[in-house]
Amino acid sequence: MSDNNYQHLYVVIEVQDDKIVPVSLEMLGEARRLIDSFNKKYQSNEKVVAILLGHNIKEICNTLIEYGADVIVYADSHELKNYRNNIYTKTISQIAQDEKLSAQISPSSKFKKPRYMFFAADSIGRHLSSTVLVALDSGLASDINKLEISDLKITHQHKTDGKPVTYEKTLEMYRPDFSGFLWTTILCLDNKNPQIERDYHPQSCSIIPGVFEPIAPDKGRKGPIIEYMPTFDQNDLRVKILSRQVIRSGVDFDSYKTVVSFGRGIKDAPEQNIKLVEQLAKTLNAEIGVSLPISKKPFVVSENVSSKYMISDRVIGTSGRRISPMLYVAVGISGAMQHVVGMQDSRFIVAINPDENSPIKDECDVFIKGRMEDVIPKLVEEIKQQSLAVNA
Amino acid sequence: MSDLNVAIVIKLEPDFSEGNVSYNPDGTLNRAETKNTLGPHSAIAAHAAFYSKVMYDAKISIGTMGPPIADSSLQMAQRICDAEELHLYSDRIFAGADTLATAEVLKTGIEKMQGKIDIVFAGHRASDGETGQTGPQTAWKLGFTFLGNVIDYKVDLKERTVIAKRMVSLQGFNDIVEEIEAPLPVFISVDPAYKANFNTVLQRLSLEKYKKEAKIRSDNYKHYLKVFNAQQLGVDLKFVGLLGSPTIVYKVERIPKGKATRQAEILDGSNQEDLRKAVAKMKEALSAMVIK
Repeated sequence: MSDNNYQHLYVVIEVQDDKIVPVSLEMLGEARRLIDSFNKKYQSNEKVVAILLGHNIKEICNTLIEYGADVIVYADSHELKNYRNNIYTKTISQIAQDEKLSAQISPSSKFKKPRYMFFAADSIGRHLSSTVLVALDSGLASDINKLEISDLKITHQHKTDGKPVTYEKTLEMYRPDFSGFLWTTILCLDNKNPQIERDYHPQSCSIIPGVFEPIAPDKGRKGPIIEYMPTFDQNDLRVKILSRQVIRSGVDFDSYKTVVSFGRGIKDAPEQNIKLVEQLAKTLNAEIGVSLPISKKPFVVSENVSSKYMISDRVIGTSGRRISPMLYVAVGISGAMQHVVGMQDSRFIVAINPDENSPIKDECDVFIKGRMEDVIPKLVEEIKQQSLAVNA
Repeated sequence: MSDLNVAIVIKLEPDFSEGNVSYNPDGTLNRAETKNTLGPHSAIAAHAAFYSKVMYDAKISIGTMGPPIADSSLQMAQRICDAEELHLYSDRIFAGADTLATAEVLKTGIEKMQGKIDIVFAGHRASDGETGQTGPQTAWKLGFTFLGNVIDYKVDLKERTVIAKRMVSLQGFNDIVEEIEAPLPVFISVDPAYKANFNTVLQRLSLEKYKKEAKIRSDNYKHYLKVFNAQQLGVDLKFVGLLGSPTIVYKVERIPKGKATRQAEILDGSNQEDLRKAVAKMKEALSAMVIK
């Protein structure tokens, strides 16, 4: 299990209807930054390898190079036009383990496994990463928003048999927890305990869309574009996509100039307080959003209210929508990072909150201190007087 | 013999409902003070499996990995779906498992269930771990076709296929509903938007019958319960628990507070003059020209 057995950072690209899903370019940007500093630090020449599956996708390969990939491995087949878990998983794990490909990517070296692998934390990448990493028999962290590569001294009951061991070039994967206040760092480590020695590479994760910045595209960048010819198991092709229908969410933040969101601050009288929020939203002609905890239905309210508001479609934040209305009003929202990411691009932000120390204070333009129960009725009156409602 | 055998994998999770959940002053979950319950996504998976019982007379087995008290989650799920068999995989050696090591236990358990399983249902993700990885990883280990984000499904018993609708939500794209056909066996992770529909009188009668039976059965859930430790399950100890987990939690820290991105003007919500000022500012923001 020498370090010499692994190389490169593989990024699994997502394409939908011939367009690159933005998170793919964001992942390439972060991969570029990580590998540049990796190569400098370790005086090596490892690469960012983009894996692209789809149909009629050759054009896209050049764009991926411009956005930071060193090498593209693509599989082009009408069978790969849309994501099906079984054939996508097999094709990607074949690419990761193919010796000829490895030789094409790094002509001078013997076969090496991928060192790191990135996927998108969305409705394709989340499941695809899970199955690919079972197929490759290694570990996976999900919903990551910060990454570092370092040499870490680890003492672990099982992995190192209780003795300190240095793990070089280890990917530190930071994951915000459900509260949005804690960061958990996940590591994927080989078992170096001689009794249970096991190789756990690639070190892999899924990455939250919208977190990392793509690099500025550089038309001058060049790199090899390698076609991989996948073979399909006939039985896998019995899984068929019969139809695809585009739907628009019932919650359409984009057509409103104002969004009013509420969080756990409704807790003292959930049903009544949601009514207050509705009133405020109506007066402002606003759509209603919620913070992530609300989508977990933490309060007992009538079925009507619950199915209308306590749903993931309304969540603003890293695990929901990112919006940028002209006016954003956060009612009873503490301002966990997870939420802030979804609303920080709003033009003007008002928070209604009794606690001046809550983090939302640093993320808003006007902080109205007070309980929503007291503030909203007065605020609604004032808005009516100043006849603020603007047609969307 | 039923023509369709389905399984559900569920999880006992912190109860996030107000009154049961407890938060530390810093906003993090106080696990010691928080009660546990059947995870909400697990409950949705149980509802999806129950649809198979009502529509196709399916036989249902439920499996969970957890401490001995996790049997309560099996009882709660049985009450939803009228299961015939409950499996608890419980061994101290399973503790601390990551998703890969958990999938190994669940896969082995599912293979021990009565009848050859045709469909496994799982929740979208756990409310505490929130990875959403365990379902697809179990599916791959079983060799079942994985279908994620499923909002609706039906089974063709003659053709031995499933037709499922699944949501695809991608950054910057409108949502898509895909209709997928797959031969059994399949592993379905159920989207939170799933809702079963029982339209005919016959279906509703059948629904009522099974609901009654579910109550009786779950009142006597121990009668249906089998508890397996690692040895009884026959798992290789190298692949379960901490020993079988590629990943570890290296550290947990508070997410540092970023620099204030905006300088808030603090106004007193009980002062009408302050509110007037707030509204004036909101008005100004809304009427400002947008320069793009």
